[in-house]
Amino acid sequence: MPQLTINDDLVECRVGLTVLEAATRQGIVIPTLCHHADLSPVGSCRMCLVEVDSIDGQVAACTLQAEDGMRVRTESDAFAKSRRMVLQLLLRRYRRPDKLAAGENELERWARHYDVPILSSSNDELLGATRYPIDSDDNPFIRVDLNQCILCTRCVRACEEIQGRFVLGVGDRGEHSHIVAGAGTSMLDARCESCGACAAYCPTGALSDRMRVGQPEPDRSVVTTCSYCGVGCQFRLEVKQDQIVSVASHPEAAVNGMSLCVKGRYGWDYVHHRDRLLVPRVRSHVLDGRLRSAGEERSGWVDVDWDTALEVVARNLIRIKQEHSANAIGVLSSAKCTNEENYLIQKLARQVFGTHNVDHCARLCHSSTVAGLSMAVGSGAMSNSMRDIAEQSQALFVIGSNTTEQHPVFGAMLRQAVLRRNVPLVVADPRRIDLTEFATLHLRHRPGTDVALINGIMHVTLINKWHDVTFIDKRCEGFAELCASLEIYSPEYVAKITGVSALQIREAAEILATNRPMATIWAMGITQHTTGVMNVLALANLQMLLGNLGIPGGGVNPLRGQNNVQGACDMGALPNVFPGYQSVTDAAALQKFSEAWRCSNDAGVDLREISAGLTVTEMIEAAGQRGLRGLYILGEDPAMTEPDSNHARECLTNAEFVVLQEIFPSETARYCDVLLPGTSFAEKDGTFTNTERRVQLVRQAIPPMGDARPDWKIIAQLAQEMMRLENRTSVGPDAAWQYADTGEIMGEVARLTPIYAGVSHHRLIQGEQLQWPVRDERHEGTPILHVGEFTRGKGRFHAVDYLPPQEVPDSLFPLVMTTGRVLYHWHGGELTRRSTGLMSVYPETLLEIDASDAHRLGIGDGSMVRVSSRRGVMVAKAHLSARVFPGVVFGNFHFPAASNVNNVTIAALDPIAKIPEFKVCAVRVERC
Amino acid sequence: MEIDLTNNTPVLLSRIGRPESHTLSDYRADGGYEGLARVLRDMKPEDLIQLIKDSSLRGRGGAGFPTGLKWSFLPKDHPGPIYFCLNADESEPGTFNNRILMEEDPHQVIEGLILACYATRSVTAYYYMRYEYPRAWERLLKALDECYSAGILGKSVLGSGFCLDIFPHRGAAAYICGEETGLIESLEGKRAWPRIKPPFPAVEGVFRKPTVVNNVETVACVKQIVDRGVDWFKSLGVPADPKNPRDPGSYGPKLYCLSGHVERPGCYEAPLGITVHQLVDHFGGGVWKNRHAKAAIPGGISMGLLKADEFDCPLDFAGPGRYGCLGLGTAAVVVMDETVSMVDFLHNSARFFAHESCGQCTPCREGTAWALRMLERIRAGRGRLKDLDLLLEIGDTIGIMPGTTICGLADGAAWPLKNAIRKFRSEFEEYMQRTNPSGYQQTDAVPALSSLSHGGH
Ligand SMILES: Cc1cc2nc3c(=O)[nH]c(=O)nc-3n(C[C@H](O)[C@H](O)[C@H](O)COP(=O)(O)O)c2cc1C
Ligand code: SF4
Ligand code: SF4
Ligand code: SF4
Ligand code: FES
Repeated sequence: MPQLTINDDLVECRVGLTVLEAATRQGIVIPTLCHHADLSPVGSCRMCLVEVDSIDGQVAACTLQAEDGMRVRTESDAFAKSRRMVLQLLLRRYRRPDKLAAGENELERWARHYDVPILSSSNDELLGATRYPIDSDDNPFIRVDLNQCILCTRCVRACEEIQGRFVLGVGDRGEHSHIVAGAGTSMLDARCESCGACAAYCPTGALSDRMRVGQPEPDRSVVTTCSYCGVGCQFRLEVKQDQIVSVASHPEAAVNGMSLCVKGRYGWDYVHHRDRLLVPRVRSHVLDGRLRSAGEERSGWVDVDWDTALEVVARNLIRIKQEHSANAIGVLSSAKCTNEENYLIQKLARQVFGTHNVDHCARLCHSSTVAGLSMAVGSGAMSNSMRDIAEQSQALFVIGSNTTEQHPVFGAMLRQAVLRRNVPLVVADPRRIDLTEFATLHLRHRPGTDVALINGIMHVTLINKWHDVTFIDKRCEGFAELCASLEIYSPEYVAKITGVSALQIREAAEILATNRPMATIWAMGITQHTTGVMNVLALANLQMLLGNLGIPGGGVNPLRGQNNVQGACDMGALPNVFPGYQSVTDAAALQKFSEAWRCSNDAGVDLREISAGLTVTEMIEAAGQRGLRGLYILGEDPAMTEPDSNHARECLTNAEFVVLQEIFPSETARYCDVLLPGTSFAEKDGTFTNTERRVQLVRQAIPPMGDARPDWKIIAQLAQEMMRLENRTSVGPDAAWQYADTGEIMGEVARLTPIYAGVSHHRLIQGEQLQWPVRDERHEGTPILHVGEFTRGKGRFHAVDYLPPQEVPDSLFPLVMTTGRVLYHWHGGELTRRSTGLMSVYPETLLEIDASDAHRLGIGDGSMVRVSSRRGVMVAKAHLSARVFPGVVFGNFHFPAASNVNNVTIAALDPIAKIPEFKVCAVRVERC
Repeated sequence: MEIDLTNNTPVLLSRIGRPESHTLSDYRADGGYEGLARVLRDMKPEDLIQLIKDSSLRGRGGAGFPTGLKWSFLPKDHPGPIYFCLNADESEPGTFNNRILMEEDPHQVIEGLILACYATRSVTAYYYMRYEYPRAWERLLKALDECYSAGILGKSVLGSGFCLDIFPHRGAAAYICGEETGLIESLEGKRAWPRIKPPFPAVEGVFRKPTVVNNVETVACVKQIVDRGVDWFKSLGVPADPKNPRDPGSYGPKLYCLSGHVERPGCYEAPLGITVHQLVDHFGGGVWKNRHAKAAIPGGISMGLLKADEFDCPLDFAGPGRYGCLGLGTAAVVVMDETVSMVDFLHNSARFFAHESCGQCTPCREGTAWALRMLERIRAGRGRLKDLDLLLEIGDTIGIMPGTTICGLADGAAWPLKNAIRKFRSEFEEYMQRTNPSGYQQTDAVPALSSLSHGGH
């Protein structure tokens, strides 16, 4: 280890550190501007000049390797002078704006430190006039004022090295050098993803958050977890008097560091949107105690107080229970809500209502993953952590995941893996998604042919004996059957099914099998098929075949879509399991929960006697048929997100009594009888569990809007009201509903859920990073699953065969439609359609269509088109794009009513997981 | 002491001026590529490096770094490729010796390049030529074609089994692309922003692989040393100073570019160490129009300025340094006669550097621009004496030598400033007095500079 003297301190440091890093570790401050610890050093601002005995002249500390025996001086009159000179020179070009977007910036702080005056405008003839137009780019999120720019190029490096997007560069030379987007276009035209990294790293405010301009200085800042996708980024909510003024990077964030995506950083304004529900509402006929006959329109809304609303809900549900049965009530939980809320809602269903009819939208995204992985390895969750994949994999296989749009920060980490470590990346996707630009190989298979493709890759692997014999012998079972089943999947045979050439299949197999560890990553492109479970089994087969499980950089890695979809599953918001995947048919689990939740009278409920419940799609269907009488919906939007949504809406229209706990009057609100105003993530405490099983705190930053209440409180109050009306008192140790805060709820979860046994808010507040299983208070959690042994003991190979999708194109409906999400929107769009910035970039449904198809149909770029299937019609704007190949069109599911793709999709279900085949249906496209 | 020029015969330029000098057949008729064949047959790469070391050849691109030593910095037994870059970006004002060689005798350069690649075990060479040399470019392409057809390049150079490809690359008109790491970045398709050194190109160069960068004239000298021997080479020039162990001497012939106010501007070959007087009078036919010289730049504008009474300065690697200049640079001498205003000269120089600064380092980007603004102001009749100190302060602080910048461009900008003002201060003062009689004495600081000139607190 090199030892050097910095000023008078003897400093020891790791080989490869720079003098600046060595000094920083020692607590010695050397002024810097172009340097940032996350970015590669460029040594161009020349603020950090120091003196080293063995080198003539001054030298930049940020680029100088620390070497043994160096004697470094960091402070002297001469340095002060040269730093003052650098500041002076920079301030020549820097124009302080009249109104700073945020407080004192880094440049101004150093100027103050070295007592160099900042000129507010050009009062010097040598300076010349304002050089650049103020606010020169039309990006809705990032404001550009190059008059503040000091050309440190941090923004350029952040875009390249952190985001992997290469939008920014430097144009021109000498003093005319300036930051440009693309070849001097606008940022969006240069393919900016508006992640805001450039602004976050800018030391002067030349690039800044537009939403922050003109806002007051925040009076507090609360670290919390993003409410959008399952990556689970953390950031600081900056608040002034109960108003969010901005989201700022939280450099210590475990998953994402300074990175965020456009939704996380700039999509928070929905919290303050005027549509927010502020008071409880009940339909007048319900208030009058009148039942609506089937087919009758719902009456108008009446605003009520909370006591009335809760009593109406409690009485109606008790009535249904008594007149029909507890199983006539169903609960749709929410992957947007916290773990604590999900725990409570399934407890409400099971303990208070007395039914296992509880499910949530994981059914629609990853139920096939959970089912498939449970069968193969015993745990339905992502086996590895995003960081170990990004930093240690030797190859990457991304199939059916548009990672850079759906899990943007992880997508950026994958791009970094390719850029920094040259990791070979194989992308299998029917569309030419952005990530393919970074791919060694893009396999463009036909939608719905995943099993064939994966089997083909395994076939080649086996023929070349690339499989991991020791791993298979020691840790797996069913290998012989697998081998037999793969025999027919020769590359030539697979090529016919998938449309991928035999050569590419061989190449893919070689890349994936000979570079280990290899991580396999998937999302809804794999799961949303009638063969979803089989797709997942095939991927598990591949990873076991290659011995890529239980090691960093490998694994089976389903990316969970919503912020807390992992947690909602973990908390047992599923019809067949209690929290922690304890089966509702397992005697010991039944015993445990019956005891814990026991009440003075059972009000007709005996957990041991009720069978597993209905899934989301089944509940909607049953409500339509009135087999299900009461539906309690927490923060879900089935009218938008169910496949064949015309039918779903019909069912909801018929449903007898529907309660919706929501923050907005969503599409589903039209079909409900009571609306209970809940709160957004910014207004409550709790935890989310991200896609890699990391439990993270959500912290209240502002009080609830209006009369809205944190959802956990609403659920607890309803439970108390029903218990009161049914004369039940709590007996079991966890039967009561008195929670002082959400930490207490997590305490109850931990007592009853072995995989969460060691999770507590206290530990999280201390900064501990916990990925379940966390076995007890001292256990540090489990970043990687299946180390040494599979959760189910031996890993099980399953022979799976290719089956075509349910609906294939024909002469009436000649095109295949596949659906998905886009960067700027999320889920049914309830939140993102209420964010001004997001809407300004992506205001309407676009239908991606190949130019040759479009020309044949007389469709131009931007024409309005009608897309019809056997089930319904949607309208959208055509976007001629090489992302889809001929014969395939792509639509997103973020927009309501006539532009909802789910008017068209098919409700064909996977037989095991009951997941609908959102990814494939046959359509006809015409100009409207 | 002046060099005796009575027996001076051009070697590097010996073939120039004949109509077919650029063709392979003409070159071969003069024994071209025979030296190469001999080396490939009889010498190991190490032997060739030793030969060049023995010759004490120093780089002709500006810095005068010993060529053999540079080659020996390459890692031994490097497993991957080693690259060679031929620096033909020749952009230093007043410099055109590379151009003459490339236009009139491209095969001499190519033979030297092949020899240099053989010595350094490079299997790929990039020939980086500035955009503004269309004739040289055409002749290079043609010469390369001839070489490939004749088996002089490609899989087996002259049947020796040594494999070499030369890729011609055309720059896009920026001075900074001549700086070796700027050239490398540009070759990689990026902005020519010079890299921080270390690592030097020999360790990490093109595509992060060990790389040698040499000037066109340097490799031409290699070819001549191979043909004529070390003794011939060392018989020319100025021997090493025995009192200075770090002085490798200035041996061999040099192509001097003479321009400006002389009767016969041109590119002249002479042994290193002739004086400015000799160059101007013997070769250039004296100052034009019977005028007197006022000043000259000794080796490209970056090197600074010599006054007329300093024309006894010997133009070897050490000479100009003894006269307060930066060095020999590219040995491009530009003569200015008595009619030239030093204010105009300096303004012109400042304009060049402000325009060519790549924009990366604060002191260079802002310092060159600031100097230019001040000179514009002086020329606009609003100069004040105080400005001269500020200009000097910029000159003294920017550059790789004080350590405030990444590359040497800023030093190049600094030397004309320092030399012009220190050597011709009275002219600047008179100019200000004349053009700004009411304000020239004003001493209050320019607002933007106040805290700097007040110094440390
Ligand atoms: C700003 C700047 C411009 C330069 N331009 C050139 C050039 O045009 N041609 C050249 O050969 N060397 C140029 N150099 C010098 C090169 O960096 C390098 O030292 C040279 O090519 C090495 O070749 P040599 O050892 O054969 O002289 C330049 C240096 C600087 C700092
Ligand atoms: S915009 Fe900001 S980050 Fe980018 S170069 Fe300018 S000052 Fe640096
Ligand atoms: S990547 Fe996901 S978690 Fe991170 S900021 Fe974006 S939406 Fe939020
Ligand atoms: S010294 Fe000037 S030219 Fe050289 S790297 Fe720095 S800014 Fe660019
Ligand atoms: S911080 Fe080292 S040069 Fe900018």
